[in-house]
Amino acid sequence: MRRFKNRVSWAGLLASTVLAATALAQDSSLPPLPIEATGTVQSLPAKYPDEWFLVHDASFFHMSDGKVYVIDTSADTVAEQVKGMFNVVLMGNIGQSRRRGEIYAAETFHSRGTRGTRMDVLTIWDMASLAPKGEVVWPTPKRYMGMPQRFAVTPIDNDNLLLVVNFTPATSVTIIDLDTREIVNEVATPGCLMAYPTGQRGFSSLCADGRLMSTQLARDGSLIKQTRSDVFFNSDDSPIFEHTAFIEGTAYFPSFSGEVYPVNMQGKVAQVGKPWDLVTKEERAGNWRPGGIGLIDADDHGHFYILMHPDGADGTQNGGGSEVWVFAAAKRERVLKIQLQAWGLSLAVSRGKKPMVLVTNPTDMSLELYDGTSGEYIRSVKDFGQETPLMLHASYQD
Amino acid sequence: MNFLDDLFERRSRQLAQRSSRRGVLKQLGGLLVGAAAVPLLPVARAVAAPQAAPKAPKEMGDESDCDYWRYCAIDGFLCSCCGGTKNSCPPGTEMSPITWIGTCRNPADGRNYVISYNDCCGKSSCGICLCQRDEGDRPPYRSDKTNDINWCLGTASAVYHCSTAIVVGVALDKGAK
Repeated sequence: MRRFKNRVSWAGLLASTVLAATALAQDSSLPPLPIEATGTVQSLPAKYPDEWFLVHDASFFHMSDGKVYVIDTSADTVAEQVKGMFNVVLMGNIGQSRRRGEIYAAETFHSRGTRGTRMDVLTIWDMASLAPKGEVVWPTPKRYMGMPQRFAVTPIDNDNLLLVVNFTPATSVTIIDLDTREIVNEVATPGCLMAYPTGQRGFSSLCADGRLMSTQLARDGSLIKQTRSDVFFNSDDSPIFEHTAFIEGTAYFPSFSGEVYPVNMQGKVAQVGKPWDLVTKEERAGNWRPGGIGLIDADDHGHFYILMHPDGADGTQNGGGSEVWVFAAAKRERVLKIQLQAWGLSLAVSRGKKPMVLVTNPTDMSLELYDGTSGEYIRSVKDFGQETPLMLHASYQD
Repeated sequence: MNFLDDLFERRSRQLAQRSSRRGVLKQLGGLLVGAAAVPLLPVARAVAAPQAAPKAPKEMGDESDCDYWRYCAIDGFLCSCCGGTKNSCPPGTEMSPITWIGTCRNPADGRNYVISYNDCCGKSSCGICLCQRDEGDRPPYRSDKTNDINWCLGTASAVYHCSTAIVVGVALDKGAK
């Protein structure tokens, strides 16, 4: 045993000598590497390409470490796919302004980390530098905190005003002037939640009593009028999802049971249209239903994409689906079924000529990319440090 | 492998029929019926009296299991796995006074109960026994029935740790939502 040890030591010494000799053998024909500057930080284009997505990892197991990754889905390797990241602390939500090149993140901090004084902040992230360029602090913390949403932080009025949803559980919307970065108003939305852009300068909210409430604002953010629609669904027996897809000013709200309600949001007041079926009679018999978190999104060609699952029942509505169904909204017609590799929990669809569908696979929390026109699986995006990428966003919202 | 399962199941059943607690009770019951014919002394009557007392409320199942009956509408980390119990918070956390509710059927008595899912707050995610059932769960606009909201409201800290499931009443209607 002792002799063997000695042999190993000699072998190690020999290897070290060879390595040292190799290192010493310089190639003097090559010029030396230039001296590099320290402190260099990368930046991004002010307007992201269509293939880029914002991947919101709510970090369900470490909520104070919530973050959004900027991902280029056209790249092949993780090193090329990850373009950068910014934080969204404690179950926050984001909104985007392509015109301003800004991303807005509603966040919450405590003065001692998990305890101490609570502070609610809207952080304004610069899309090019991914650095914070401003913030707005709530006088009294009350912003909505929960599973990620697409319409809890909503720019309106050509991105002059920003709406941020509050919940204490009293519901209201804080209105921020994006030029001055100041809170200009808070409008109560009793019994109603979320902020779906409506008309030139307004928003609508979904209500517990099965209505929509539309709020019209003046240029300075002051309240002009609030109007409640007729009851069009029952939140006990026939609920609709709060997630929706906008196509040319109409929001498509899927119901738990497989209908979709088109709501025209182009005027000052939301106009609820006649619902239509997403499923055939045979599919309804198989209990095909919508399901997921970010379960619906739209492309630039009049299509919405929705996660569907068979054997649906009370309790399966948040679980996602095995297929993505694509509908031509105006024709009320399904144009494509995409069979997912495994299962999908959330999806987002890229803008532009070639819609691509990015789907969260909850079995390993990877992302899968599909061609939105053919349904072809393209690649997986994984191992980028993600934990729970619960909400996906196309790289901008109109 | 199935035949082994069947074999073990059959043997277990036979064993249970011969030696289970139920079998012992059956034999004991036979003895008691026989004994009832014998006049009892007053002391013996006093000892026998508790058997006529009302039955205690009953639950069954493992409260650290996601399938436990109270968790029908839950979405979060079970406090039972985090140093708390089904109806109490882990040490050093604070229970939220504002909650969402579900209606769950207790299989032990067949009743539907209103369950309040009070969150425990002030420490980061427990990270153990994540459980999502969602039965009767509704979107956040129906706030009294939604588990998608961070219910650490009205607490010193808004940081979510885990969820309890507290019986706050018997549902009035068996089919109540």
